[in-house]
Amino acid sequence: MSTIQISELKPGKVVAANVTTADGRVLLAKGGKVEPWHLNLFQGLGIKSLEVEDSQEDRCIQEAADYVVDFFAYVNPDHPVMGELYNFAVDLVALRLGQGWTVPSLAERRAKNVENLSDVFSPDIVSPEKIAKHDVELSSFPEVYFKLREAIDSPATSVGRLAELVSQDMSLVAKLLKLANSPLYGLDQPIESIQRAIAIIGVKELSILALGMSAINYFKGIPPELIDMKTFWRHSISCGIFAKILAKTLGESHAERFFIAGLLHDAGRLILFKEMPYASSEAMIFARENVLPLVEAEQATFGFTHTMVSEHLLREWKFPPALSDLINHHHSPMAAPNPRDAAIIHVADVMANALGIAAGQMYVIPPFDEQAWDLLGIPAQGVQRICSDYEIQEENTLEVFS
Amino acid sequence: MALNLSSSLLLRRTQPITEDEFRKLRDFIYEKCGIWIDEKRKYLLENRFGSRLKELGLSTFSDYISLLSHGQNKEKELATLYELVTTNETSLFRDTKQLDGFMANVLAPLIVEQKQKNKLELNIWSAGCSSGEEPYTLAIMLHEHMGPEIKRWRVSITAIDISPAMIAKCKEGVYSDYAFKTTPEAIKKKYFVPAPGGLKVHPSAAGVINFQVMNLNDVAALKRIPKSHVVFCRNVIIYFDEAMKKKAIAAFYDNLLPGGVLMLGHSETLHNISSAFKPKFIAGAVAYQKM
Repeated sequence: MSTIQISELKPGKVVAANVTTADGRVLLAKGGKVEPWHLNLFQGLGIKSLEVEDSQEDRCIQEAADYVVDFFAYVNPDHPVMGELYNFAVDLVALRLGQGWTVPSLAERRAKNVENLSDVFSPDIVSPEKIAKHDVELSSFPEVYFKLREAIDSPATSVGRLAELVSQDMSLVAKLLKLANSPLYGLDQPIESIQRAIAIIGVKELSILALGMSAINYFKGIPPELIDMKTFWRHSISCGIFAKILAKTLGESHAERFFIAGLLHDAGRLILFKEMPYASSEAMIFARENVLPLVEAEQATFGFTHTMVSEHLLREWKFPPALSDLINHHHSPMAAPNPRDAAIIHVADVMANALGIAAGQMYVIPPFDEQAWDLLGIPAQGVQRICSDYEIQEENTLEVFS
Repeated sequence: MALNLSSSLLLRRTQPITEDEFRKLRDFIYEKCGIWIDEKRKYLLENRFGSRLKELGLSTFSDYISLLSHGQNKEKELATLYELVTTNETSLFRDTKQLDGFMANVLAPLIVEQKQKNKLELNIWSAGCSSGEEPYTLAIMLHEHMGPEIKRWRVSITAIDISPAMIAKCKEGVYSDYAFKTTPEAIKKKYFVPAPGGLKVHPSAAGVINFQVMNLNDVAALKRIPKSHVVFCRNVIIYFDEAMKKKAIAAFYDNLLPGGVLMLGHSETLHNISSAFKPKFIAGAVAYQKM
């Protein structure tokens, strides 16, 4: 039951108490439904507010709001962008609740039941440099991806050449064929050649698939209650999509570059998961217990953060510096050589975190740099449209990874 | 998918805190419990304490700060403040691997050594014991390891926490199912008896523990703690700033007997804080030995 102002009353609401005139005459009995003609009558009689039963929808929104608000504990509640994102996130969660989703319990959110005891970790013996350099195998992570991208970007590349590149990576071949033969593409004939599979799935999607594939092994030592690969990739892709939308909104001609930066913005974290699964789990538990953004928990636990790892990593990988800067500064856009470009990834990350709540992401939204937002010059009301655009694109992009 | 179900919900649910109020509250908290709330955590602080303001029916943070400083119930409110700034997530036998490693590589040799010296005495300090799970776990482990022989020893576990509410809970010694998630079933049966609200620690195991409300910031009070063979301080210093970390670690150093051992939480380190300890990598843990 809740109290509603007469100006906000809509037909169809069920009243939770008798609506009476000043002298006690019952106009609408408890349990009665408000009809359109009641509105004028009530207003005419000077009734200011009344008690109504909460509808299923109201209850979903209330529950969603109470759930979502927790994730905004770390950001300025008065900033209009946060207000917009909050409302959008509440809508998404309410929608899911309406579809039968149950929000994770407080114990789950605070990771109370995670026992994480695989190995000893001592912050004394780690540094971002060591971690980034440690694993040789790692340097092959983007290799197929970058070869593919290079090939894709070159107009002279044939599907045959792409197939050749793909066949260098067995797991990619398997995933590709599985995807091409999935009901998603609804083909009668089984697809058995890599070339055919590429033709069906699409050249652009192929590179994203390659990137997603390489990450699977990175999550072995991480308890799934803390984060799983699906959630991680969903967030990465979301950030990529947001970055691209923001870049397009700003009239950037190379919006694809921002997509890539968004997709890879947490690459440092992947390495941390792989190299320090135990410590990473500690950081994640610390974040969850204390309602802190993961980046803060990393700092407290390791003495450095995932962006410091990516800094070394991307240098090893010989990433173009302009791209690395976007990734390495997504939590510190104003310190980047090109703050406006870094601001795009920064804002995209915050947005992806907010909209990810309905998809089950469990970490509070990281600090939002208001100065970085101002640099973009997008009005706060624009957030609604950006989020709606995102919703449309997300469905299409995520399918590729499922 | 345009929803627009709720587009007018207000994200702000609490009173705003002014810059000045934030600084005052932050400094107050730091002075009282050594926990430093960084500027970055301003909204988090506003959030947590905002709900408390509502409960108390206060309209501004300034009112709350004056209540803390000179209100009639300031001591009581201080206890609530401690609850709000510290997390008390813990369970019995938390981090079993670390505890086993500690038992096998630190405590067992220590007991042998003490016997050889014919000094049947063992002092442990559990600093920041929260609701008591850690000292009870240590007491039970000692009983398990020493068997009936423990009666001939002078074993003492001094367990301190900043929060009076937590120490009251410690003394009560009653734990719900959640606290037992990593406790072996046999231990549960042997050392706990049913009580309203869960299971209560058996007095035989509880007897070696001395619970006290004490602040790690209060150097004079800490000097009253008996000299220890082992100090346990897990998941506490991570909340401190560097100055306070150094202060706490110095207190542990002063308290430890020569060769004594400090056990920290997994993600905590003495790196950049103290070089007066030697880290020893033992199975499942790092033990910091006083040099």
